[in-house]
Amino acid sequence: MSSDVDRWAAERAAELRARAEAEAVAVLRDALVAASLGERARGRARESTPAPSPQARAEPGRLLWVYCVTRAAEAELVGVPGVDDAGRVERIEAAGLAALVSSVPRAEFAEGPLRSNLNDLAWLERVARAHETVLEQALSESTAIVPLRLCTLYAGEDGVREMLAGERDAFAAALDHLAGRQEWGVKVTVDPELVTEAARARHQGAKAVEEETAAHGAGGAYMLQRRFDRDVRELAHSLATELAERVHGRLEAEALEAVTRPPQNRDLSGHEGEMVLNAAYLVEADHIDELREVVATLEQEHGALGARIELTGPWPPYNFVPGGGTAGIA
Amino acid sequence: MEQSSLPARSTSPLPGRPASDTNLADILERVLDKGIVIAGDIQINLLDIELLTVKLRLLIASVDRAREMGINWWESDASLKSLGPTQDAERSRLEQENGELRERLERIERALGVGQESDR
Repeated sequence: MSSDVDRWAAERAAELRARAEAEAVAVLRDALVAASLGERARGRARESTPAPSPQARAEPGRLLWVYCVTRAAEAELVGVPGVDDAGRVERIEAAGLAALVSSVPRAEFAEGPLRSNLNDLAWLERVARAHETVLEQALSESTAIVPLRLCTLYAGEDGVREMLAGERDAFAAALDHLAGRQEWGVKVTVDPELVTEAARARHQGAKAVEEETAAHGAGGAYMLQRRFDRDVRELAHSLATELAERVHGRLEAEALEAVTRPPQNRDLSGHEGEMVLNAAYLVEADHIDELREVVATLEQEHGALGARIELTGPWPPYNFVPGGGTAGIA
Repeated sequence: MEQSSLPARSTSPLPGRPASDTNLADILERVLDKGIVIAGDIQINLLDIELLTVKLRLLIASVDRAREMGINWWESDASLKSLGPTQDAERSRLEQENGELRERLERIERALGVGQESDR
């Protein structure tokens, strides 16, 4: 019996050894593959971890939001709330200039999250109002400020200092240009019903002719009515445009510079009537009383069309920074 | 007296008090489009593209209504020019889709033997 087993074992030994070796190799191969995959995964994880900022004073997980630039001696505004609750407003000085900044969390303001947050109107409103509030406070404590566009962000203080030093000439020129001047906004709305009424009244002559010829039967009368309605509509349009042009022309004469903007969306502005003019004017600070008087006079002159002229300001001079808007500083 | 009838913003808001009474449209049209643009450490030169949805919400409704009234003050504003072609592209896309749907409907009606027959 045992000799049978021995013989079988002897015959199969080579085969068994080969199989055992193959299994051992397979196990070893799997272990090696698993180990090397783990290594690669750890390597990737290491790569995607943000490198620690080289700047000495950058807080981990925070970025610096820049509001505006002033002359170094001005806008002592420090410690007021910023865009993020945890970051109070601070000043960073360089090249005779000061930047007002506050820290904001990377989790909310790094490129990825910022991209989606900017499209969230509630988030955008909160941030925009906070930005505006800081700018208004800075404006009331300075001869001039250069407002920066929303979401100007730096990794640390050194970056802000470099920016101030690098653009010192452009900032100095802008601050000189804006000193002692104020941006004021003007929006003109009209009552569309009153405008249409005025247009109809002006069109009375044609209406009389029309009534004479209305004897041409029902079809003719219908066509004439349609033409009359169209004429009134066109006249109403030109009345509204003329009013906007006249108001803008008078206010432009009081201002150093002027810009016109598209009418605002009622959902956001909540205005009544139709907005026919949305403009901003750069005015000498000592000329504001005259501007108010002109606005009041214009509103009275155009009362027949239900004109309302809203004057707001002073605004941070967003619309009048030399090189502002799309051109900007690279 | 005259001045008090003009709704002017406070010239010196209390520190820390949000000016929540200010019209949101007034603020957004300034902070999104105006002010000095500096490339900081966070690159959001995608601003113009990414904000398009908000920009559209801000502008389209009012702009269309104003054009109806013959008001087109802002036409010289470069930042808004891009809205024109976008609208045109959207319109032609809708027109094309409309045409395609009409063709499909006709094919289906023909296959089912309805439509033309029932009209007669």
